[in-house]
Amino acid sequence: MKKIMVGNHAVSWGVMLARAEVIPAYPITPQTTIVEELSVLCADGRLKAKFIPVESEHSAMACCVGASAAGVRTFTATSGQGLALMHEMLHWASGARLPIVMANVNRALGSPWNIWGEQTDSLSQRDTGWLQLYCESNQEVLDTTIQAFKIAEEIHLPVMLNLDAFFLSHTAEPVEIPEQKRVDDFLPRYQPEFRLDPKKPYSFGCLTPPEYFMEFRYKIQQSMLQGKEVSRRVDEEFGQSFGRKYGLIEAYRCDGADLILVTSGAIASTARVVVDALRQKGRKVGMVKVRLFRPFPQEELYAVLRDVEKVAVVDRNVSFGVGGIFAHELNAAFCNEKTRPPIFSYIAGLGGRDVTPQVLNDVVYQTYKRSQPEKHSVWVGMRNGP
Amino acid sequence: MSEQIIFKREEDLPYLPITFGSMAWNKTGSWRYLRPRFENKISPCNEGCPAGQDIEGAMVLIGKGKVLQAWDLFKEENPFPAVCGRVCFHPCESSCNRGEFDEAISINALERFMADVASRQGRKPLLRRERREEKVAIVGSGPAGLTCAYHLARLGYGVTVFEALPVLGGMLRVGIPEYRLPKRVLEEEIDQILELEVKAEVNARLGGEFLVKELKEYQAIFLAMGNHRSKSLGIPGEEAEGIMSGVEFLKNVNLGKEMPLGKKVAVIGGGNTAIDAARSALRLGTKPFILYRRTREEMPAFPAEILEAEEEGIEISYLVSPLQVIAENGKVSKLECMKNRLGPPDEDGRRRPVGIKGSNFFVEVDQVIAAIGEEADLSSIPKKLGVKENVILTDERGGTKQKGVFAGGDMIHQPHTVVHAIGSGKRAAIFIDCFLKKEKWDGLFDAVRIGERGSLSMKRYLQDEKDRLPISSQTVRLKDLNLDYFDYKKRKRMSKAQVSKRIGSFEEVNLGFSEETAVEEANRCFNCGVCNLCDNCYILCPDVAILKQGEDASNVIDYEHCKGCGICVEECPRNAMVMEEEIK
Repeated sequence: MKKIMVGNHAVSWGVMLARAEVIPAYPITPQTTIVEELSVLCADGRLKAKFIPVESEHSAMACCVGASAAGVRTFTATSGQGLALMHEMLHWASGARLPIVMANVNRALGSPWNIWGEQTDSLSQRDTGWLQLYCESNQEVLDTTIQAFKIAEEIHLPVMLNLDAFFLSHTAEPVEIPEQKRVDDFLPRYQPEFRLDPKKPYSFGCLTPPEYFMEFRYKIQQSMLQGKEVSRRVDEEFGQSFGRKYGLIEAYRCDGADLILVTSGAIASTARVVVDALRQKGRKVGMVKVRLFRPFPQEELYAVLRDVEKVAVVDRNVSFGVGGIFAHELNAAFCNEKTRPPIFSYIAGLGGRDVTPQVLNDVVYQTYKRSQPEKHSVWVGMRNGP
Repeated sequence: MSEQIIFKREEDLPYLPITFGSMAWNKTGSWRYLRPRFENKISPCNEGCPAGQDIEGAMVLIGKGKVLQAWDLFKEENPFPAVCGRVCFHPCESSCNRGEFDEAISINALERFMADVASRQGRKPLLRRERREEKVAIVGSGPAGLTCAYHLARLGYGVTVFEALPVLGGMLRVGIPEYRLPKRVLEEEIDQILELEVKAEVNARLGGEFLVKELKEYQAIFLAMGNHRSKSLGIPGEEAEGIMSGVEFLKNVNLGKEMPLGKKVAVIGGGNTAIDAARSALRLGTKPFILYRRTREEMPAFPAEILEAEEEGIEISYLVSPLQVIAENGKVSKLECMKNRLGPPDEDGRRRPVGIKGSNFFVEVDQVIAAIGEEADLSSIPKKLGVKENVILTDERGGTKQKGVFAGGDMIHQPHTVVHAIGSGKRAAIFIDCFLKKEKWDGLFDAVRIGERGSLSMKRYLQDEKDRLPISSQTVRLKDLNLDYFDYKKRKRMSKAQVSKRIGSFEEVNLGFSEETAVEEANRCFNCGVCNLCDNCYILCPDVAILKQGEDASNVIDYEHCKGCGICVEECPRNAMVMEEEIK
């Protein structure tokens, strides 16, 4: 069955199909309609879950921690400032090895106040021990929501899926809704080995002295690395069940390319159009979409990019004092390789500014023109009118 | 302390930080500097009930469907729940915290409900004590006298009630019309009192200086003869035929005495007697109307009764005073009246009516019923008991100046309501018991009082001192509750008989609650200040330091592990916990 729905409702429906059991959530623009739709689904009985309205995002995540520790499938959603407020509990969730799934609608952080799209909110949380996935379309949003639970529950780590504010969250597209029965086969009931149970008491997250703490951290790192393989396999299995798969990264028309654009999220769909147009003009341009950001798909990216002449990374995010975060990660990932392409870093579309085909054409043009990357990220699509 | 497990290698550790043993060895109670404690406080309804009924406790029981146990709880304090459930002006409801939140609990209707259920199932009150030798005389069989008789009988005394009229019940029997209080309902509750071996003598008017002498074989006396004398209109022509007092009229109706009323019946007054008289006259086939000298706002009758009179088509003329009665052949034919406006407030705060000159008019009438107030007839009371301004003076126990003689009801200085009469009867029973057992009573008030408004608990009085749970003196107000835990919900109302069925019939107007409605309404109760085992503390304690003791048993605090964070106290919806400084 196909339905026309906005990205936020694609999240809600994914959660319903995944049969989440506890949903503590606090509304924030532009995430609100995810929570709103879930509360409707819970109220009318289509989703048999405990919907808990909480007083803040910190409480929402704290509540998720409790519910997930009790052994139930747990979901929440947030955005921007809300995610920032959760920060402490994000570390707790991963440290406690709880397979919570969260949708984050990428939104710029104030000040100045802004409600529009930017990835700096989730990328600021990259060291919290959460897997991070970035989606390009509403279909991918729904499918990734279902996949996220399966990945999280297998490696005992929480998963954050990200979608662009408004470009996805509030834009309607046709979305294929998978059959419940097949989702149930793909994603069986969550049955953890350990859970809060008064009949069999355990204490969770108790004081762990230096003699043991490091080992627990090592385990998280091992599971996170394993998460890449698991994400790949889950995506493959999903493809077998539902006919759609996305990969950890996607290489689009990269064969024989001399310049590859690297980007993520909704910008990838614009980049496809730009690549197609440039290819038609005889330019050998390709595009790589990064879907999995944590763990970072280092080998997969290297396999595609090692021999290309130039790589241009378009980041809708910024780490002040460094520049584009994806570009920085890519540089770090390739720095020990003997053969590696020069990486040109561009910052675009902050605070919801449109990244138009003209902006991406400009990126391609500038990259061709430059013999080597600038010292710092180049900001494109800036105001320069008469 | 549990056995220490040593993990040698990273692979041996579980994937998440978890302890397999108990953490109970870690006595975190030592970290505490504030200490939570369960402490029940006073519910405002309980404080507001002059009869001292445990309303809050009854709401819990009704909410669980334990209606008969709820009735037992009421009956412990008051022999008349079926009566009060119909005629009480329910100060409990005006005290109810829920009233400030949305609407007060329908306590009055629930009281009637439990009494109706108890009646249908033949439930009886229990005797409490072994027999005692002393005998007590009670003069007057109204709510005060019969309440005192009931409690004294349950305390083991031989009680005799003397009643001047041929029937028992006082104003309940002869002052309140059948459609508000059916005789069979009253009689059933009176019979339950008589079944406790209370002796009653009717047509026994005690009189004059002999009163106390006549009763010298009794070791204590309780006087509660009520206010049966009507105030006169004090206007010319009052002695004409066809003029009667409201009290006399209602007495005749209640005793089944025929009266030629004619058609046009003018009722003068604005109290409950006036409304009762008009509505009774309507049911006798006349066309009554009410003349009241002030406006509806100043009317002392219960608003619900006024509304019901209006529903039945009784016209009420406000700001009208009668000036004189005009008779033809010695029988009333017209009333000369004057219009009023409201002047400055008088001593009771209500605005005083002032006549408008030249506004005189005439009303044709066949019968006038004057219901402008009642007073005591204290001509038979020996002065040495202490009488002032037509009121018997009593101390805080209800005792008169003469040892062993107590008084209550409308004859003493207190509001003239059924429930205050009941409260005074119970108070007298408690202190007659103290008097006869020669026990000290100072300090007793603090042990048995419910709040600050004079209500006393018979249940606490009957408990041994060591069994009495400590009770806080704090009455819980709306601001003391955690309102996050309560939803708005409309109050349930009793259905009423259709107006067409009411006119010309003395059938009961209010029709009572169904069990389903009653349970739903009782569950609206906040249970102010009293733990109802909602288990919020148990659920929210982060240290699992609230322990459950089995069904219906109070929760207890595990002070070995309670860190004193205060979440339980903060999240108690009903203020049944307190936080105190830890004394180390």
